[in-house]
Amino acid sequence: MNLAVKDIRYHFFKFLTSTIGVGLLLMVMLTIGGIIRGIILDSSTITETTGADLWVVQKAWLGPFVEISRFPEDYYHAIQSMHGVAEASPLVMAWDHVERAMRPTQLMKFMYMNTLIGTRTMVEPGWIDMPHDSRFIVIGYEPGHIGGPPTIIAGRGIEASHYEIVADVKTGLQVGERIRLGDFDYTVVGLTRNMVGYTADPVIYASLDDAQNILFEADPDLLRNIRRRTQQQVLGAAALDPRIGGPLAQQASQIAENVSLVNAIAVKVAPGVPVDEVAQEITRWKHLEVYTAAREVNMQLMGSNRLILLQLSLFRLILLVIAGVVIGLITYTFTLDKLKEIAVLKLLGTQTRRIYAMILQQAVLMGLLGTLLGAALEFASEPYFPRRVVATRGDVVQMLIVISVIAFLASIMAIRRATKVDPRSVLGT
Amino acid sequence: MEYAIEATDLAKSYGEGHTRVEALKGISMAVRPGELFAIMGASGSGKTTLLMILGLVTEPTEGRVLLEGENIYNGKRFDLQRLRREKVGFIFQFANLIPFLTAKENVLLSLELIGIFGRQADSRAMELLEYLEVADRAGNLPEQLSGGERQRVAIARALANNPAIILADEPTAALDTERGLSVMRLLRKVSKDQGTAILVVTHDTRMISEVDGVIRLMDGRMVEHGDSKRQPQSQNGR
Ligand SMILES: Nc1ncnc2c1ncn2[C@@H]1O[C@H](COP(=O)(O)OP(=O)(O)OP(=O)(O)O)[C@@H](O)[C@H]1O
Ligand SMILES: [Mg+2]
Repeated sequence: MNLAVKDIRYHFFKFLTSTIGVGLLLMVMLTIGGIIRGIILDSSTITETTGADLWVVQKAWLGPFVEISRFPEDYYHAIQSMHGVAEASPLVMAWDHVERAMRPTQLMKFMYMNTLIGTRTMVEPGWIDMPHDSRFIVIGYEPGHIGGPPTIIAGRGIEASHYEIVADVKTGLQVGERIRLGDFDYTVVGLTRNMVGYTADPVIYASLDDAQNILFEADPDLLRNIRRRTQQQVLGAAALDPRIGGPLAQQASQIAENVSLVNAIAVKVAPGVPVDEVAQEITRWKHLEVYTAAREVNMQLMGSNRLILLQLSLFRLILLVIAGVVIGLITYTFTLDKLKEIAVLKLLGTQTRRIYAMILQQAVLMGLLGTLLGAALEFASEPYFPRRVVATRGDVVQMLIVISVIAFLASIMAIRRATKVDPRSVLGT
Repeated sequence: MEYAIEATDLAKSYGEGHTRVEALKGISMAVRPGELFAIMGASGSGKTTLLMILGLVTEPTEGRVLLEGENIYNGKRFDLQRLRREKVGFIFQFANLIPFLTAKENVLLSLELIGIFGRQADSRAMELLEYLEVADRAGNLPEQLSGGERQRVAIARALANNPAIILADEPTAALDTERGLSVMRLLRKVSKDQGTAILVVTHDTRMISEVDGVIRLMDGRMVEHGDSKRQPQSQNGR
């Protein structure tokens, strides 16, 4: 006969309500774990899904996202023909934004209001009514090369060479919707999912040419700059012969104007070739910076999101301690309510370990049921978070193990109290 | 083995120095199997203390106790908890049933403690409950039973391990005369049927008609250890 189960059956409501309390606490813990994983996934998803081994960017620039590098597109031909390179894909990737009417849900509005409590004085009055910029990342890729949307959940991929885009669902765009980017209108032909940058801004995919139009064409300063630089270089070289210097410089500046720029080249290394070797080769040969995919993810994660991860981890640790204390206190009061019965059990000659097992089993059972309840609530609430929250079954298993240990430790206080119960106290009553 | 339980020159004192209380002094007594004795005496005279010593809950300061001829407190450190669950049955003023176990489960628990499980335990528990005429309440929790029924279940529990001795501390105090008497008669029947030595602490002189003898305490000393049927005057002298 299991005394713990029988006692729970009798005090069912008390046990149930306490377990719900513990479950809610553990739900928060699992959610924070899910938020942490969400940030990690957001920071790595583009790099991961592109599947490149190496990311090539402008010399001394940090990655294609952390800083926006720029260099001529045609470098990629040279890289592609290098030994050990299986594929080189020129990519354009930069932030852009459009003014879009937001369609906030009731929940969103509530969350906004909540954020403002106590912080309203810190921001300009009326900021919430200002027009909202919808920020996103534009990624331009050459169809057939790596770097495009990994999955299409609605509509189709980009087929025409111009004016078609595939957007992440988080942009709020619908298939068939038209949106003005730069100087042209683009049609959303498909949707993808979970493609966001490390800042959680969703991605819009376009063909390389379109992306160059959207992101670069509207920047005459840069063009003027390039033109001047090329002119000067040519003029310097042609200074010895002024007769040909003039026309040559003019021609050169025209060429420069037509130079297409990219932000990065994603490189896939051929099987069997050491990645480092290819990386060194590119660095030596061109005035370029090369990062491995792992380093790339590391920069986005540890460079920008490191502190928020530590912040959340510490909070999670504190919650674990709190969960332990709560389970301990509940178990202790359960035991206080049972002192008389414990005395009777002792007087009847019940083995003490059986009495302690009853207390321990209740604590562990509460922890385990609480975890399962918390997990169910966590999974149910994940879709309502504005950023990605991803708890896994592994998290739940881990929590089950950790909480068993915690509950074990937490019940020590109650067990110590039970050891002090004197069976003599029942006599005379 | 003539006696179920036998005590010689028992003394028990609590505390030290000027707070020292001599709860019991020079108690010698013996009860045969099948005998029912009442322990009587004024409040504070040491009745419960005597019961605790005989019930292997508290060691006496002096003297020895033989349980079925075995010297218990001889310094050899018996496993008192084990002896208790095998040879002693307890009944209290309030039944002190485990509230989260049904009547039957309360009896089953005591059977489990001496290693009887399963169908065997089941039939023994029902047998005991039938014997005490509470079989129809087997599935009820203690709080769903009347005081008298509770006490009957408690007696069934005390009988479960087939003890050498049953110790009852004022089992009738919480019941009216009618029910109290019926519990006493039940104990009478149990001691005869099962051959168990039973010691009942009681204040109630009306219960004396049912017992074989009275052990009367006064300020920790025994002033009477008699057979009620042979010495009927001793109770009338009160
Ligand atoms: N743990 C203890 N510490 C100190 N003194 C005690 C302790 N237990 C009992 N006593 C004292 O021992 C004496 C006998 O107590 P006991 O409980 O045996 O009396 P009793 O006959 O059962 O009384 P009652 O009829 O009121 O239940 C009393 O004077 C009591 O104060
Ligand atoms: Mg008493």
